[in-house]
Amino acid sequence: MFKSYRKVISTVAVVALASVSAMAASDASRTYANGKKVIDGGMAYPVKNGKTSEYYVNTQKAYKDVKFGRPATANEMKAWDIDVMYDGTGLPDGQGSVEEGDEIYEAKCASCHFDFGAGGAGYPALQQGNAYEIHETLKLQRLHPDDDGPKRNFGSYWPYASTLFWYIKTGMPHPAPMSLSNDEVYALVAYILSINEIKIDGEELDDDFVLNKENFLKIKMPNKDGFVPKIEGKNGLENARKFYDNPKNFGGNKTRCMKNCFEGEPKVARIVGAGISVFNPPLSSKKEKPAKKEGAAGGNEAKTTYEASCAVCHATDAMGAPMVGDKKAWAAVLKKGIDAVYTNGIKGINGMPPKGGTALDDAKFKAVVDYMVSQSK
Amino acid sequence: MNKSMNVSKKVSEQSSRRDFFKKTAAYSVSALAAASVMAPVKVKAEDDPAIMEEQPWATKWGQPVTYNLYGQPSEYESNVTRRTTELLSSGNMRASIAVTPLQDLSGIITPNGLFFNRHHGGTPDIDPNKHRLMIHGLVEKPIVLTMDQLKRYPSVTRIHFIECPANGGPEWRNPQFPSIQFAKGFMSCAEWTGVYLKDIVKDLGLKPNARWMLAEGGDSSHMGRTVPIDKVLDDAMIVWGQNGEALRPEQGYPIRLLVPGWEGNLCVKWLARLEFASEPYYCKEETAKYTALRKDGKAIQHFYANEVNSVITSPCPEKPWTDLKKGDVVEIEGLAWSGFGTIEGVDISFDGGKNWVEASLKGLVLPKSWTRFSFIYKYDGKPLFLSSRARDDAGYVQPSIKQERDAVGIEGVYHRNGIHTWEIKENGEVHNVQILS
Repeated sequence: MFKSYRKVISTVAVVALASVSAMAASDASRTYANGKKVIDGGMAYPVKNGKTSEYYVNTQKAYKDVKFGRPATANEMKAWDIDVMYDGTGLPDGQGSVEEGDEIYEAKCASCHFDFGAGGAGYPALQQGNAYEIHETLKLQRLHPDDDGPKRNFGSYWPYASTLFWYIKTGMPHPAPMSLSNDEVYALVAYILSINEIKIDGEELDDDFVLNKENFLKIKMPNKDGFVPKIEGKNGLENARKFYDNPKNFGGNKTRCMKNCFEGEPKVARIVGAGISVFNPPLSSKKEKPAKKEGAAGGNEAKTTYEASCAVCHATDAMGAPMVGDKKAWAAVLKKGIDAVYTNGIKGINGMPPKGGTALDDAKFKAVVDYMVSQSK
Repeated sequence: MNKSMNVSKKVSEQSSRRDFFKKTAAYSVSALAAASVMAPVKVKAEDDPAIMEEQPWATKWGQPVTYNLYGQPSEYESNVTRRTTELLSSGNMRASIAVTPLQDLSGIITPNGLFFNRHHGGTPDIDPNKHRLMIHGLVEKPIVLTMDQLKRYPSVTRIHFIECPANGGPEWRNPQFPSIQFAKGFMSCAEWTGVYLKDIVKDLGLKPNARWMLAEGGDSSHMGRTVPIDKVLDDAMIVWGQNGEALRPEQGYPIRLLVPGWEGNLCVKWLARLEFASEPYYCKEETAKYTALRKDGKAIQHFYANEVNSVITSPCPEKPWTDLKKGDVVEIEGLAWSGFGTIEGVDISFDGGKNWVEASLKGLVLPKSWTRFSFIYKYDGKPLFLSSRARDDAGYVQPSIKQERDAVGIEGVYHRNGIHTWEIKENGEVHNVQILS
């Protein structure tokens, strides 16, 4: 009696389990609603019986009649279409030489990317030597602490120079994007190609080399063929679909071991020393009210702004900016009077962008200058 | 007439209550005093002062309803916050990441103030009245939408995680962070509200050779990414709502792209422009960044889904077992997620992945969403290597670190989903380790 009761229970459980998994299988699919296989190797959840996975959807026919917005004008599209594609689409007219690029670089880029694009202080290197040689490092693996690893920068890694043009034009200089002319961008791209020792048509780029729309398309980056799947051309989507259909291509695993999955004791790697443990704010499990901030009533707004926006260049003299606390440097700056200091700061001077890249109004900006002067007397 | 009667009734009620207060005032100096007066007790060492002593919040008025009309967490929760570290920051903190305190979260929804934040040109202060979305390129009818017009489309609400594909990326070669917040906190999960892109695009006359879509932000970085048309026509959304309110500025206010399950970087914030083209765009984040270098020197580009993954959130380095006694029965809890689909199950190992048992899933189990798992464990005070391993409905199982390294090497930076292990020491401390067997 007891035994048969148990048997009934377990049969019910099996049936329940089977129906659950059958439901899951019918909800998810390896194909999209249009019948095409997924492109990412995952699942799709086409609407069935008014639901997609667990979510109900509105299946009224009138749903498709909703339409809003107005036609975009030709000028609007021209104003916003700022991308530059690898086939040259979007590349503007203009030109610039390596030498001109060098000068613009010194004035507008070196304060973050350092001399010759060496990088540092959290800003990326733009070159690490001859791009063709550095490209060979991409196969390196840092298996031991002293091993050299792959060096990834524009010259060694990026597939197309169009991306560099596009990025400089729309994203640089970082505090003042969209401020460079097309000629300036051509010059900067020429300079960055030259410091990476990239050749065009087998030719080294000397100071006189002028980059323009025509010779731009002859640039062939060393790592152009270093990427999988191949997505250019009319088979691009299908190549990606095929690539992600095979887990081996990207390290996907489909095996589930439950017992004795490796031999012997586990081989353990631990954090070396304290690891990376300086966090802002520091980790804490304490449930307590924060200490009241000094001068939180508003007296220290200039100090806070200085720390958030100016200290990055003015806290040391590494960037060529007068260091806060350096009396001599500030005495020199103040020779022409405080108004000249305000004006230079507001307009920008040397490597410093207007108002240091902040969006402060003049009064608040001057208060920050006053604070920096007060700390340097 | 009636009104004045009511008033006089109220006054007499109040005066009689005032009399009562006068009479009892002598006893209510503090409850402890009152307790002593009314029923004298001698407080013993075993008695909890938190119970025996009156607390100010129990004897004084709290804040009026007009205080913090937009609510804030208790000030005592000030340790629950996003955090930054220099390794992951640009010098000016405007091309940086602040990560989510997974150790302090419950359930599968990340509060908006704790949602991880990655940006490339600072957080812009966008006026929604002047923000536009342009959709153009290989369409018959290019359009411009104001934010109000966009929100006229029928809304769709979905729970999805967003994960930076570099989550765990600093630990390809070795564990580095004594912290779950930094080891795994480049991700969060929210309920998003917006419109399916396919519901807008259907009327625009997509041309047959429109294979790719550029999504571009309107912030100072003008960050763009390329999305294949398959995803645009499947579940990609433009979202304006997050957990019931407008997106926060640092999450893309007023709108962002949501590409469920795929690289977080594709979910372009401050979305301003979508352009369809026959060729991929090769944006700045599709070069040395957001491509995964394999050991054969080839880099995987357009690496879409964040693969199946999991981590135990309790215990973790920030939430150790140092307060447990031998014999305590405790819950091991964690998060599992997969950009490929829906979590099917999670296994737990106590010996670093040599042997596994199945844990329970709990709560909602949704596609491309965080999923909670749970295992009740009798703590015996012995050291452990505690690991979790998730699997999804596409059939993927989280690989061991060895399997992952054997397949792609250790220089990929992105898309690391090898099994995560915590070492539980005899004293209950929790350390971040990697099992290489």
